[in-house]
Parts: sequence; C-alpha cells; structure tokens
Amino acid sequence: MNKMFNFWTDVMKLPTIGPMYAFSKDIGAYANDFINLGKIMAELKADMDSYWSLVNAAYIKAAKETAERAPKQLLSKDDFENYRRAAIEAFEDSFTALFASPEFSTVYGKLFSTQLDMSKAMQGIAEKNFKTLNLPTRSEVDEILKDVAELKRSVRELRKNAEMAKDDTRSATT
Amino acid sequence: MTQEALRPDQQKPANEQDKPSAQAAKPNAADEIQDAFRKLEKTRSILHSAGDIEVGQTPHEVLAETRTYKLLHYQQMVNKTAKTPILVVYALINRSYVLDLQQDKSWVKSLLSQGFDVYLIDWKTPTVADKYVSFDDYVNCYIDDCVDIVLKKNKVDKLTLHGYCMGASMSAMYTTLHQEKVRNLAVIAPVVDTEKDTTVIGNLAKNMDVNKMVDVIGNLPCEQLYACYSALKPFKQGVNKYFNLVQNIDNEQFVGNFLRIEKWLYDTPPIAGETFRQWISDIYQKNMLVKNELKLGNDVIDLSKIKVPLLNIVADEDHLVSPQCSAPLNDMVSSTDKRLMRFHTGHVGLIASLYSQNNVLPKVGQWLKARSQ
Repeated sequence: MNKMFNFWTDVMKLPTIGPMYAFSKDIGAYANDFINLGKIMAELKADMDSYWSLVNAAYIKAAKETAERAPKQLLSKDDFENYRRAAIEAFEDSFTALFASPEFSTVYGKLFSTQLDMSKAMQGIAEKNFKTLNLPTRSEVDEILKDVAELKRSVRELRKNAEMAKDDTRSATT
Repeated sequence: MTQEALRPDQQKPANEQDKPSAQAAKPNAADEIQDAFRKLEKTRSILHSAGDIEVGQTPHEVLAETRTYKLLHYQQMVNKTAKTPILVVYALINRSYVLDLQQDKSWVKSLLSQGFDVYLIDWKTPTVADKYVSFDDYVNCYIDDCVDIVLKKNKVDKLTLHGYCMGASMSAMYTTLHQEKVRNLAVIAPVVDTEKDTTVIGNLAKNMDVNKMVDVIGNLPCEQLYACYSALKPFKQGVNKYFNLVQNIDNEQFVGNFLRIEKWLYDTPPIAGETFRQWISDIYQKNMLVKNELKLGNDVIDLSKIKVPLLNIVADEDHLVSPQCSAPLNDMVSSTDKRLMRFHTGHVGLIASLYSQNNVLPKVGQWLKARSQ
C-alpha cells in the first residue's frame, strides 16, 4: 500500500521538474520582463528622436548651404560638377561639425546605451528560457570563459617562474 | 571579373579596353550619358569583386602561429646592413597588410630594401572565446613571445620595436615593462594623450558605455567600427571617393589603388571585449596612459621608465589619432635620444602612400640605421 502511495506522490512531483511547471512558476517574472522591455523601447524611441533631430538639423543646414553655394542653373557639365563639389563641401562641413560636437557624443552615447539595455533585456528572457529547458546559459558560458582566461594567465606566470628558477639553478651550478 | 583584371600590372592599356571609340572630338549629350552608364556598370562589376585583389605580396614565411597571431618574417631583399632586427607591432583594428598594401607603397618592402631584417605580428580574428583577452595578454604574453622568438632567431639580445596606431601604444606599454629586450622604440601615430585628441573617434569614445557594451555584446563587433568610420570625413571620403572612382574607372592604376585601400577599410575583425573595455574606458575616457596609471595585470605602465631611443612619427592631417594626442609621448619618456617627426599627410597616407615612400621612409630608415648597429 505504501509503495502505491509513494508511486503516486512521485508522479505528482514530476511536473515540478518539467518545463511547464517552470514556465508557470516564472510567469510573473516573464510579465515583468516584458513590461521592462516596453519601458526600454519607449526610452529608445525618445533617444532615436533626439538622434534623428540632430541629424536632420545637420542635413537642413547642409542643404541650405548647398543651395547658397551651388550654381543656380544646371546647364552644362561644369555646372553639375560644381554642384557636386558644393554639395560635398557643405555636407562634409555640416556633418563633421555634428559628429565632433559634444552634444552628438552625448546623444549617440545615450542611444547606444539604450540599445544595449534592450539587448540585455532580451538576453535576460532568453536566459530564463534556457534555464527552464535546463540548457547552459550565456552568463554561465561567460563565467567559464573568464575562468579560462584567468587560468591561461596563471599558467603563463607559472611557466615564467619555472623558467626563471631553471635559469637560476643553471647559473648557480656553472 | 578575373584576378588579372584586378591587377593593374597585368591589365591591357586603357586604349585597348572596353572604351567606346572616340568618334568625335566633342561628344554630344547622348554619348556622354552612354559613357556615364558604361562607367557605372564597370564600377559596379569591379566593386563586386573588390575582395579578390591581391595585397601583402612581399615574400615572407610564417615563423610562428597561434590562435591569436601569426609572426611573419620577411625575406631579405638586399644584404642585411642593420644588425638589430625590427619587429613591427600592428594595431588590433583592420589588418596588418596595410603595411604591405602594394609593391610601390609597401612600408615593409622599403625597410627591407634599406637592409633591415623585418618581422611583423599579424593579429588573427578574436572569437567569442577571446572576450576576456586583455592588453595584459597582448603585451605581456603575445608580443613578449614574438620578441623572444625574434631575439632567438637573430641571436641578439635586443630589437627595434616598431608599432603603428594601437600597436604603437602597445609597443610603448611593452617597452616600459621589458626594456631589457628593446634597443629602439619607433612608433607611428601612437594613442597617448587622449584628452588632447581632437578627432571624431575620440569624441564618440568619450560618452560610450563600454562596460555595458562588453557585458552585453562581448567583443566589439565590426559593424560598430564601421559606424565609427562612417563618421570620419563622411562625404569627402565616404561619398566623394565613389564619384572619383566612377570618373577614373578606366585608369587601371587608380582603380588598383582604390580597391586595395577599400579592401583594407572593410576588412575589419572584431576587437576582444576586455581589450576594448580598457582601450575606451582606461585610455580614452580616463586618459590613464598619460597619467601613468594604466595597469596591465599587476604592472603599472609608467611611460617615464622608457629610456631607449625613441622615434615618434605623426601626421598633421591624421583624423584618427590627432598629432596632439601622439606627440606628448616624447615629453613623457626619460630617453635622452628622442625625436618627433611630423609629416603633412594622414593616418594611412603616413604608411601606405607614395608620399610616405618618398618623404617618410628614407628619414625613418636613416634614424633606425644609425641606432641598429
């Protein structure tokens, strides 16, 4: 009789090690992840707007200067050539000034950072799925890579010390 | 397109190529339009096979090869007149063949023809497994290994360390820690004082959240490097160069030069994550190299420890590493024999141009030769 009850107790436990139990257990965390992802996307949109507004301003400035510097009528091959030169000069000046400005650096840095936040949030969701399926996650692989790099450095140090000790012994004996 | 077609030395003269015959002295509009379309089509087809063009053709052997680097030893062209071998340390950005891009503009070939024994560290593409490879590994392990191999092969106790760009900064780091193996330090456009750097790259680096980038992405992807490159002279070089190519598409020499540089520009391996983190955070953002605070493992990089003869070569028009960023190295070292050479050219023009063959290399060779006996 006991044996039979134990069997059914084990059967009841089975889903707790399966993916469905794990998924249902983590449903709250998944919901939070998606809410967080939404927030990051809203932030990304704002950062994108700032970025494109700077690029747009530089474009308008360049287009205006092209119109001022370039020939008004395109009648000959030389006119086209002069137009091209004027446009290249104007766009170069405007966009180089933009890319070299502290404002662009700040906006670009912020946009890049938000894009990374989004990747991080998506990686978090993927990691959770991997854990649920009992597969190695990226952060676990990362830990191994870090250990390997440190081990290689330790081996290098040991090898160097061993070589130095060997040289010392050799010079002491001669 | 065949290999031959991409090699200017094996191409037919321009007048035998697929140019329309000059029917009239003054072409009409229809002819011009037709010619423009022909040039565009030829440009398109040439650009499609740009990657096939041959580079790095100076004969050499691979002296050592690991997962991270290949150590190349170039064949002597003339009798060796300089006793001290030169080890060229290339940057971790793009490929080392820019120093041997084509025969008439090869930095390496010029040094060989001046009687030097030349070795070069050709860095391989880092993989995901190299995320935690740092400057400590590059300087104290890989460069040190190569130095030992060169010293052993030449049966000498010192060599000339010759770095370019990021490789120049690594050479300076190496010299502070292993001075007993370095006779001369010759650097080209080293990144030293980043606070004085006026380039777009320096500006973008200052606000980059590099810690987050390395944590999330790992190695710096080549796409991110392309994004940075596209911000450098975006129209004069980024757009105008293609107009110039179309206009000069029947000039084999122009096309050959263009394709080699273009191949190099887009041959961009990723950069190991931890190395990139140090590069941006410690060197560009905190300017630790010039403050003598940069740490490689347990060692502090103190540039004032450098006492060997120093040659610092900078370009006035460098838009990747401004001369103001490179020049302070001469003020920081303790060497009594030091020289700063400035040339009126750009970052790549300094090493891979006719200007560099005629103006830079003879002076560099002269300086090195006087200190290589």
